[in-house]
Amino acid sequence: MPETLMIVGANLTGGEAVATLRQEGFDGRVVLIGAEPRAPYERPPLSKEYLRGESSFEQALVRAPDYYYENAIETHFGVRATRVYAAEKVVELEGGERVSYDKLLIATGGRNRRFPIPGLDLQGVYDLRTVDDCDRIRAESTPGRRAVVVGMGFIGSEVAASLRQLGVDVVVVERDPVPLRRVLGEEVGRVMEGIHRDHGATLVFEDTVAALEGEGGRVGRVRTGHGRLIECDFVVMGLGIEPVTELLADTGAEIDNGIVVDEYCRTSVEGIYAAGDVANHYHPVFGRRIRVEHWQNALKQGPAAARSMLGKGDRYEEIPWFWSDQYDANLQYAGYHTEWDELVVRGSMEERNFVAFYRKGGRVLAAVAVNRGKELRRSMRLIKAQRPVDATKLQDPDVDLRTLVEAADGR
Amino acid sequence: MAEFVAVGRADDLREGDMRALDVKDTKIAVANVGGTFYAFGDTCTHMECSLAEGDLEETTVTCPCHGSEFDVTSGEVLARPAREPVGSYEVRVVGENLEIKI
Repeated sequence: MPETLMIVGANLTGGEAVATLRQEGFDGRVVLIGAEPRAPYERPPLSKEYLRGESSFEQALVRAPDYYYENAIETHFGVRATRVYAAEKVVELEGGERVSYDKLLIATGGRNRRFPIPGLDLQGVYDLRTVDDCDRIRAESTPGRRAVVVGMGFIGSEVAASLRQLGVDVVVVERDPVPLRRVLGEEVGRVMEGIHRDHGATLVFEDTVAALEGEGGRVGRVRTGHGRLIECDFVVMGLGIEPVTELLADTGAEIDNGIVVDEYCRTSVEGIYAAGDVANHYHPVFGRRIRVEHWQNALKQGPAAARSMLGKGDRYEEIPWFWSDQYDANLQYAGYHTEWDELVVRGSMEERNFVAFYRKGGRVLAAVAVNRGKELRRSMRLIKAQRPVDATKLQDPDVDLRTLVEAADGR
Repeated sequence: MAEFVAVGRADDLREGDMRALDVKDTKIAVANVGGTFYAFGDTCTHMECSLAEGDLEETTVTCPCHGSEFDVTSGEVLARPAREPVGSYEVRVVGENLEIKI
């Protein structure tokens, strides 16, 4: 019997993983299972260019549709895997079919968080995860219509921006005092707030959604925790995701903020791996576990896990990096930080052209840039080096950040 | 028909630098890699950012907006998110001038 390598999750992580297995010369059986009835595609355009009608679904596909057949990859698209029996090395699919594997990669990603808010089942209330979700939102988004976007994390912020660009009247309700505070902090959040206000979005901070209300089964207004009533034609919820881990529930695999894996994408169960949004992975550079919900991690960790399954794995130590385009602003972030003692800014927050470094104990843990991507990318090696860096040099635009890496390395 | 067009002095572009030029209504980037000049389409095929605004390391240019990488010698994609190559143009130095074939 040829060896069977199975990937659950037909998305960017899963799609890249199966492609890597073939590129690495694996000629056994490859099975790719995904709950969505489509070949793997990339999600970043769904809150941006695809939502605005500027790009096609085909452009978002990870591989051409023929790729899987041509590379003898057995696909089950539109079929949810429900359970893993680790002792028997079997995955059960909805409908009861059981498929045996020798090694298994879980790349099930996340599902949108749902809170018990009355009225979520009304027509005209959406959240965004799949291209079908996006198509429904797009169909509502004609000029002059009124939308409420709930939550101002990255998805909420990007959807709000895209809807404004489509001529939709947008009110955003966010629990925090500025957008993106949890990730970027207040100072950078305020810059993003200004950008949204300049583009005519109405921002309601420090308030929550108490209920969605409407007549005839369709949403017509949002009632907030502070008693505001916001009239609207439709609502987009953007309250984050939670990792989809249930199918490993009976396997004994460690689950803690996702599926726990080591730097080789291995779970605590022999022969089972995890990668992408679902994987809480040990990161050697930061010396701790992190779970990353961004495109680059989906793109790189799938292949890393695939090589690990083939016994060719290297430690996965990509510096997390992502972008978020909102209106004409290009925001990028690199690194990983939860707390910092100093935010060192190069450039001008007022002019929306800066890179800001999150520093702790003299080291740069992470950096964020608005409209200054070149320097953000140059700071990635600095972050990886994890050595103390002089703040005045970080601030000085005449200092090439790459020379600071060399200085730090040379110590 | 493609022909060589003078675009400026070769010694205006230092080693390791890039510059975007408008040549016959096409945005072209010129890179100086260790004294050798390469010309390629300046507009990233992902979201149309200017590649000359990005970083050049040896023969790899990185888009400043979303990190796509291209080989400046061929225009080929080396790293996503871009999927389509940018154009690649012949360059020659005639006297002190840089010429691009377009």
